[in-house]
Amino acid sequence: MLEDELNVSIRDRDGVAIIDLVGDVTTFAEEKINSAYAQVNEKGARAILLNFRQNDYINSAGIAILIGIVTEVNRNNQKLAVSGLSQHFQKIFRMVGLAQYIDIYQDEEEAVKGFAATATQ
Amino acid sequence: MCAVTESSHKLSTIELSVPSELGYEKVVRDTIAAFARRLGFDNERIDDLKTAIGEACINAIEHGNGGVPDQRISVSCICEDERLTVEVRDRGVKPYDGHAAVPSIEQKLQGIAPLRGMGLMLIAQLVDEADFTNHPAGGNLFRLSLYRRRDAAHP
Amino acid sequence: MPVAHGQVNKSMTLSNSDAETPDRIVELRLPSRLGYEKVAMDAAASLARRMGFNGDRVEALRTALAEAVTNAIEHGNERDSAMKVLVVLIVRPDELVVSVADQGLKPLDHDQTTHIPNIEETLHKSDKGGWGIWLIRELMDEVEFSTAPSGGNQVRMVIHLEQ
Repeated sequence: MLEDELNVSIRDRDGVAIIDLVGDVTTFAEEKINSAYAQVNEKGARAILLNFRQNDYINSAGIAILIGIVTEVNRNNQKLAVSGLSQHFQKIFRMVGLAQYIDIYQDEEEAVKGFAATATQ
Repeated sequence: MCAVTESSHKLSTIELSVPSELGYEKVVRDTIAAFARRLGFDNERIDDLKTAIGEACINAIEHGNGGVPDQRISVSCICEDERLTVEVRDRGVKPYDGHAAVPSIEQKLQGIAPLRGMGLMLIAQLVDEADFTNHPAGGNLFRLSLYRRRDAAHP
Repeated sequence: MPVAHGQVNKSMTLSNSDAETPDRIVELRLPSRLGYEKVAMDAAASLARRMGFNGDRVEALRTALAEAVTNAIEHGNERDSAMKVLVVLIVRPDELVVSVADQGLKPLDHDQTTHIPNIEETLHKSDKGGWGIWLIRELMDEVEFSTAPSGGNQVRMVIHLEQ
């Protein structure tokens, strides 16, 4: 019981590969997040957005998975951003240093615009 | 609903015991959040407390109880005049062995440090006090406290 | 984590509902003070939601448990906050069992646990209460009143997980 409560799905918007993460991000999220990343990577995504929704619970094991994704993104020369995080988890991301490596946007709209702006620079 | 006199502190204690199994830390988080909400802590501090408690429970499950099934973790939540204290006790299958240096995110990204192991660092930043002791009856006892700040709204 | 993940995952998954899956037990002890029933409600709701109960069923459980805990606080323990209310949640693959026990200063008699209140009647009575136990029976799938091992009153409620 108390199984993992994360739904992960992938879509494309204006050339940004969006990975929607709805629910809890804990150690049980590892396979789902890594395989979603592998899929968008295989499709040749350059800009990747982790779009969080209804995340009442993200813990250090979940953050470790995201750091793993940052490693891959750096290796593959992609751009990574996150959106939809609550104020609390934005703070947690800053505490662990993730904010230095990932652009944090309030919502998906803002993130997609942000990607477009950096692409034209 | 927090007690005012010292003798009534014990009267405002809740105790919770859950299986030592990943997933049950969520029940602990939600239960203690309900307690803290009753005590008048604001949402931001309750979020901090929830994250800290989740990490403390995972430590107890994975390390203190060594991932051994059928163990339990016990959580006490004590309301005092100045603070809310939460104690997380495991069975001490593995003793707590001091504060190791926390690797930086750079080391993690370079692959020279494990990705995990940020729990205690997060807890220390999120609550006002956090420390480990040995429980007199055995096991590790992790204690964390949140002060009740008297801000402008509640002089 | 080098911790046996397969094992953890197995026991965490409802679909592995073989007979070998042992019960998982959550225990909560609360002071007998009104307001603390909300702590029990949130604990049970957290567990039930994660077991897969839908929103309506979780709300039903919250209401039934609130009635059971306030009964324990107000009647069984006569609002003596040194007295504890023990809430035990037993997680099974197909159901959640919730027991609420008080320290029984004031035992419930059979009449109180079986009485069906009537709105017309109640309107004319000064005591408008007495709906709690009826409500628990309406909302839960199984309800049983007994004496707790501690000697107090105990109500055992079961809510089935419909797949």
